Parts: sequence; structure tokens; C-alpha cells
Amino acid sequence: MRRIALPAAIVALVVLAALLLPVLLPWSHDAIDWDHVRAPARSPGHWLGTDELGRDRLARLAVASRITLLVALAAALVSMIVGIAWGMVAGWAGGRVDEAMMRIVDALYALPFMFIVIVLMVVFGRSILLVFVGIGLVEWLTMARIVRGQVMTLRHRPFVLAAQASGAPAGVILWRHILPNIAGVALAYLTLTLPGIIMIESFLSFLGLGVQEPLTSLGILVKEGADDMDVEPMGLLVPGGVMVTLLVCLTLIGERLRDRFA
Amino acid sequence: MRALILRRLLTAIPMLLLVLLASFALMRFAPGGPFDGERPLAPETRAALEASYGLNLPMGEQFALFLRRTLTGDFGPSLVYRDFTVTQLIADSLPVSLTLGGLAIVLALVLGLAAGTVAALRPGGWADETLMLAATIVTALPSFVTGPLLALIFGLWLGLLPVGGLGESLASAPQYWVMPVIALALPVAGAIAKLARAGLAAALAQEHIRTARARGLSTAAIIERHALRPALVPVVSYLGPAAAGLLTGAVVIETVFALPGLGRYFVQGALNRDYPLIMAVILLYAALIIAFNLVADLLYGWLDPRSRA
Repeated sequence: MRRIALPAAIVALVVLAALLLPVLLPWSHDAIDWDHVRAPARSPGHWLGTDELGRDRLARLAVASRITLLVALAAALVSMIVGIAWGMVAGWAGGRVDEAMMRIVDALYALPFMFIVIVLMVVFGRSILLVFVGIGLVEWLTMARIVRGQVMTLRHRPFVLAAQASGAPAGVILWRHILPNIAGVALAYLTLTLPGIIMIESFLSFLGLGVQEPLTSLGILVKEGADDMDVEPMGLLVPGGVMVTLLVCLTLIGERLRDRFA
Repeated sequence: MRALILRRLLTAIPMLLLVLLASFALMRFAPGGPFDGERPLAPETRAALEASYGLNLPMGEQFALFLRRTLTGDFGPSLVYRDFTVTQLIADSLPVSLTLGGLAIVLALVLGLAAGTVAALRPGGWADETLMLAATIVTALPSFVTGPLLALIFGLWLGLLPVGGLGESLASAPQYWVMPVIALALPVAGAIAKLARAGLAAALAQEHIRTARARGLSTAAIIERHALRPALVPVVSYLGPAAAGLLTGAVVIETVFALPGLGRYFVQGALNRDYPLIMAVILLYAALIIAFNLVADLLYGWLDPRSRA
């Protein structure tokens, strides 16, 4: 656990700050402090200063982290459920069904999905729902592959054969005997999915296609900071730093969990 | 080998056709057409406009027309950049994107293979641990953070490199390319380093390598003659996804560093609903990705004789 504890503690700290800060701060993320527009960092009342519209940077950062984490978690859970179901059915059914299901996964893998999502947004208008659809479309693929492989190795193990011989239906075997055995690997890949999703969401938000005002996300803050960095570099450094910290820590946790279970 | 090339080329054709059909359908059935303005047009004006663009023909004939035009490289006029055809815009921007992507993939391969090889020589050693941690970190760094960050540090603070734009040419003004190429290459380099390390470490642990060592071959000779080829297999099969990743990253990098490349037109087109421009760029991207996967498959067949069957 030693190698996971440090990154996990850092992630927990960010999550805690994202949850508590909006409650504790006197400013909301879109409230304008007319007396302190473009306040520098460490000014009284505004720890990180205010942006060019007089909005408190710390409050915006907390709300942005909250939304980014929320989108990531929701999308990761959906992709995990779809991926596990798909992989279990394919791995258990085997033969032609397996072949067809995994061909679909291969085909989806080959698509330049980011461009498809962008085109969908252009055609149907920008919405957070499409961000989810786009992310969901691609992020379950790896999970499906991994789970299928696990199921294929598990299905010939004695305890599964015994359950089959005693007449247990496939659903019960998958739920009671297979699922608990793939939970560890699934958890590791769930952790690895999170940074991927954060990157996609931020990428779209950075281009102005993801989360829309008045809501905000880390991608939007990085974009705002990058546009404004010659005047106030902290506007880029702080949200960029939070995002990179989250991404690196989540990746490290995921990789180390994976090495342990796989 | 020739059969493999032929088979791959033949499967690429239906894929491209499918992309063409999908882009045509999207363009025709998307809400909001090019003639929907603030004021509604008189019906006869509208009919005349549609007739002049061939929009009154049956769907099948429209698709045939679209196909014929696309195959001859004619994507029609851009809806936003009024004085340019899409083909002109692409002809101007494609060289920029290809240079950027090409330099980035070369840099990523050099950095990644070097780091992976050094790490694999002593699995578990300090160089291995450090390099692999660094690889994880750069893989997790999104290009839209590294890009502005590099621009801030080396452009604004240190004043060493220009923060954006393009010089006369790559040869006469290489400083404009340094930061974009590095920002684009880093995540790919990290992924390649990990794959190369895993492949090489596995290859070096094999028994014929031990025999080669016992015969007194130097480590360099062993890697060059026996271990490198099998170790490259996972790296090569990653090249397809890497191409897709580079294209996506290039969209951001070209926006951040104000490079007049394909990705920037794509974003502009997406924000402005410039359908002909978006479709042309998508088709090009699809063709590039298919081509890259083809190259990866061929290299794969060359590296691993078992896969040629």
C-alpha cells in the first residue's frame, strides 16, 4: 500500500477541497466583486486574487475541480458498467458471439472519436450530455477487453466448473463467481479511466465545446489562464497545476493497482 | 508480404467509403443549412440557390456528385472564409500540420526508445524507476497544459523562443517549431518509453539472450542483433493509436501556438459550422489514420514473421 498512499492522499485532499471550499468561501464561483477586479494573488479576501471579471479565483477553482471530478466519476462509472457487462458476455459466450462483439470493440477503437464528438457537437449543439456520450462511447472499450480476457481464463477454473455442474444458471455464475474475481482488475482500470476522461472533458472545454458558462471546469480555467498569462501567470499555473496533480496521481494509483492485480 | 499489403489496401477502401457516406449524411441532414439566415429567403430565390448547388437532385445523385467531387479533390467553397475554396485552405495548412506531426513522432520515437532501452537494461534499478516515473508523468500531461506552460516559461519569462506563429520556413526559422513539437511529442514519447521498456525487458529475459551473453557478445550487440526486433513489436502496434493521439494533440497545439495548420481550421470550422471545411478535414484525418495503421501493420509483418500468415 505504501506506493499508493501518497498519491491517494493528494487526490483525497483535492477532492476534499473541491467539496468544502465552495461552502466555506464567502464568494460563489460566478459572483462579481466590483471593488476588486483583477486583484492579485494573496489580496485580502481573495487568496488567489480575482479574474478580469472580478470573480474569486479560488472559488472558481474549487467549483471547476468539483465539476471536472463529477463528470469524470459519472462517466467512469457508466463506462465501467458497460465495459464489464460487454466483456463478461463476450468472454462467457465465446465463439461467434465473442468474435462479433470484439470486432465491434476493435472498430470503435480505430475511430478518431474526438473528431466524431466534435462533429456531433457542431451538428446537435453543445451540451454536457454529448460530452458524456462521447466519453462513454470510447472509454468502456479497454475495460471490455480486459474483462473478457479475465473471464476467458476464469471460466475453466474448477470452482466455475463446479458451479456449472451443480446446475447454476449463467447469470448466477457470472454475478456470484466471476464478478468478485474481476473486481480488483476492474477497480484498477476504473482508476486509469478517470485521468483519460478528465483529459477528454478538459480538451473539449479548452476548445470551447465542453462545459459552458456560467458553469466552469478545469479545462476552461486553463484556457482562460492561457489567454491571460502575460498579465497574470497564476491564472494558468494554479488550475494547470491542480489538473496535472490530479492526472499524475490518478495515473500512478491506477498503474500501481494494475501491477498488483494483473 | 505482397498479399498482406493488398489485403490491407482492400479493407481500407470500404472504410473510407463509409467515412464518406457518414460525412455526406451528416452534412445533408444536420439542422441549419447554409441558406438559413436571419431573414427567410423568398421561396423562388431559395429554389434557385439550391438548384445552383445541386441540392434539388435526388439523394442518390447528390451523393454520386459529392463522391465524384471529393475524389477529384474538390470540396467546394468554404462557408466562412468566403474567398477560399476548402481545397485551397487545406493545401495551405496541410504542410504545416504534416511537418509538426512528423517532427513530433520522430522526436517521440527517439526519446521513447532511448529511455525505454536504458530502463530495460537494469529492470528495477534507479534509472528504470526514475525514467518510468517520468514516463508516467509526461503521459499524464495534457498538451493544453504543457503548451501554454512552455510558452509562459521559455517564451514570456526567459524570452528564448517565440510564443507563436510561423517563421519563413522550417530551415530558416526553426525556433518557431521547438515548443510546439516538444509539447506534442512528450505524451507519445512517454507511452513509447513504457512499451519499449516492457518489450525489451521481456526479450532480454529470454534464454537465447543468455546464450548470446555466454558466448561473450557485448550488450550493445545483443540488443542490436537479437533483442531489438521483438521488443519493437508493441511499439509499432502502438503507432496507429499514436497517430490518432498526435492529430488530437495537434488541434490544441496549433491553437495554442497560433500555427496555421489543419487542426486550427478544424476548430474554427467546428465553432462556425463550416460544414464543407469540417468534412474535408475529417476525411483527411480518416485517411491519415488509415494510412498510419497500414504502415504499422506492414512494419509489424516485417518485425514478426509469424503475423504474416
